[in-house]
Amino acid sequence: MIRCLSPVTRGCAAAVSVQLRSGFHGSPASAKSRPVPTHFNNEDKEKDWSPASRDDLFEQVARETKTKATFNKVIEVFTRQDVRRRGHVEFIYAALKKMPEFGVERDLSVYNKLLDVFPKEVFVPRNFIQRMFNHYPRQQECGVQVLEQMENYGIMPNVETKVLLVQTFGDKSHPIRKYQRIMYWFPKFKNINPFPVPEQLPEDPVDLARLSLTRIANDLDAQVTVYQLPCTDVTESGEEVVVPHIVGIQSPSQMELLEKHSVDRPVFVEGPFPLWLKRKCVHYYILRAEPLPPELKTEEPYDPERCLDYPLQLDLDLDLDCDLGDDQSFDVEDLDEGPVFAMCMTSQGDQFTLNQWISGLQQNNPVLGRVPTLFRLDSSPRELQKTDHTRSDHKQEPSFGTEGEEEPAEEPEVLKDEEPRRSRGMKQ
Amino acid sequence: MCALKLLRCSHYQRLLLPSVSPLSVPRRSVTPSEYRRPGQPQDKRRPWQKVNFNFSKGVEGIKKHFTLLKKEVTDPFIGPEGRPLREHMLEQNRVLWEFKGPQDLEQWTVSCDQEIGGHSEVHLKMSRNNSTCFLYGTLSSVPPKDGETRYSGYCTMRSKKPQALFDRKKHHDWTTFNTLYLRVRGDGRPWMINIAAETYFSHQKDDIYNYFLYTRGGPYWQDVKIPFSKFFLTHRGRVQDDQHPLWLDKVNSIGFTLGDKVNGPFQLEIDYIGVCIDYAHTEEFAYELYKRNPEV
Repeated sequence: MIRCLSPVTRGCAAAVSVQLRSGFHGSPASAKSRPVPTHFNNEDKEKDWSPASRDDLFEQVARETKTKATFNKVIEVFTRQDVRRRGHVEFIYAALKKMPEFGVERDLSVYNKLLDVFPKEVFVPRNFIQRMFNHYPRQQECGVQVLEQMENYGIMPNVETKVLLVQTFGDKSHPIRKYQRIMYWFPKFKNINPFPVPEQLPEDPVDLARLSLTRIANDLDAQVTVYQLPCTDVTESGEEVVVPHIVGIQSPSQMELLEKHSVDRPVFVEGPFPLWLKRKCVHYYILRAEPLPPELKTEEPYDPERCLDYPLQLDLDLDLDCDLGDDQSFDVEDLDEGPVFAMCMTSQGDQFTLNQWISGLQQNNPVLGRVPTLFRLDSSPRELQKTDHTRSDHKQEPSFGTEGEEEPAEEPEVLKDEEPRRSRGMKQ
Repeated sequence: MCALKLLRCSHYQRLLLPSVSPLSVPRRSVTPSEYRRPGQPQDKRRPWQKVNFNFSKGVEGIKKHFTLLKKEVTDPFIGPEGRPLREHMLEQNRVLWEFKGPQDLEQWTVSCDQEIGGHSEVHLKMSRNNSTCFLYGTLSSVPPKDGETRYSGYCTMRSKKPQALFDRKKHHDWTTFNTLYLRVRGDGRPWMINIAAETYFSHQKDDIYNYFLYTRGGPYWQDVKIPFSKFFLTHRGRVQDDQHPLWLDKVNSIGFTLGDKVNGPFQLEIDYIGVCIDYAHTEEFAYELYKRNPEV
């Protein structure tokens, strides 16, 4: 094979193919500049057999814009250029590979259009021997590949897909089987997520924060408060100051817990912790306290009037000790990690911003003004910070020394903030 | 003229060769062997060369097996599986795995797509409170550039198979239970639970029963109950047409896999894994058994 590159080295692969072809067809190789992709002329396409040109077709278009319209244009150009659709398998493989680049990988109509490239009725087996053996295996494999890519991107085929596949491959072919499998399993698992995320996440960060916070709070009584809306201010010196949004959530039970919290034990602002909503990762911060040491724990009796419909405590005098048959609880130690008082999301997780959140919280939780608040902020996402009961026993007063000893690896940003904060104006 | 025709023929032949990546179906051998990366040289060592004749390893083995021997001798005097008969007959639930210390992490193996040349990372350690396990890492679904592998991006944690004395096979027997119970805290990502049961034929050795584990995210723990009837059969990642319910008498291992094609860090904390009986659940199998899915 003689590889003589044309002096015009624009499309390298295309140039090679042109040169090769010239040897066989005997037509003068025209290594002149290629036409603009939006108007391919027919005679040029008719000669362009080489597999490399399938990629090249997309590359020519991609130089301008990569959109659905141009992708469809390429398919259209390919379908129009030859009645026999020569090289369509290669073309489809190339198209599948290029789909994410053009941003059409989740578009059902494009997949249908791609399946339409297959010539109709040619690959349908016409007698039992053909049906018995793998008829046109490469084409069928290619059809399965298209469906597999749809499956991977979670696109459910529709009736049009089925009609196209039946027209192309017949009703018992491998692509049809694949189609049937997708149509059997996809609807089964479509709605099994107990914590569904909307298909289109809100663009607005405040709305997104509201959605995520209600998701993780898992409490219908919880109330979302927007402490600060995002805006851009210009100071006197002409600098632009971006004010981050602060959205918090707190439920009545959390407020109650915070009310009961002892004043001499500190509360912690921790974060950021990651939360994934499909493809999007957001971070949230929590306000929490260390678990109480065992000697300080007091069993509070249930208030019988708290819920009149449903008894919170049942004291049936059954002799359950001798009967394991009714014991439904797992034999595990209870995990006490300390209460969570509130959660918030902000675009800027520095201490100043979170301090504003705490001051906002003070309006509804006056006890926060008296409780020391410590900030344990981390730039990288990680697990919830927890300390053992035994180790937290001796630490009654939070101070820099003990903190440093306890977490030598983390070195958290601990700042004591004991003076009662003046609650700042709350923007709603 | 004839020669020219021939030449043209051969020209078309050549052109029919695939232009894009080979997209080849992985070759199947008669004797299934371990996964070998494309381009990796074959392991030509003799079987005995792979055995580790380390003295300290031998001592470890003797210790382990004598402990097991003692257990196997004394256990029948107490009752089945070393528990009193009453407890064995009346138990409603059983905690299978919990994480009380680093020794409990020994029962698990973690792996990710680095084995096939991917770029994911996964680590397993104890959480800060020292009573739960913490699985974390980064998922990357960039396929390795070996020309054959098309998909990549998984991270998994799998329990080791239980072993009896002299490395005999031992299985979990969960026939008295019908529900898997987990206490987890994730970050909103969907996971998959894999249960591998003992099979008879060698071609079934990659048969795994799967179901999904959705996490809510957030600072609160989440109790998950999954009936065993919902687990569906897959073989090497492909859902099978011919479905069967999971037989619980010989369960080898349980695993958690993340592969949601979203690149980024992930974390999952597990408090404990148990099985229980849900008397309200009477379903035997959630998928159609009277015909193949889809019908042929």
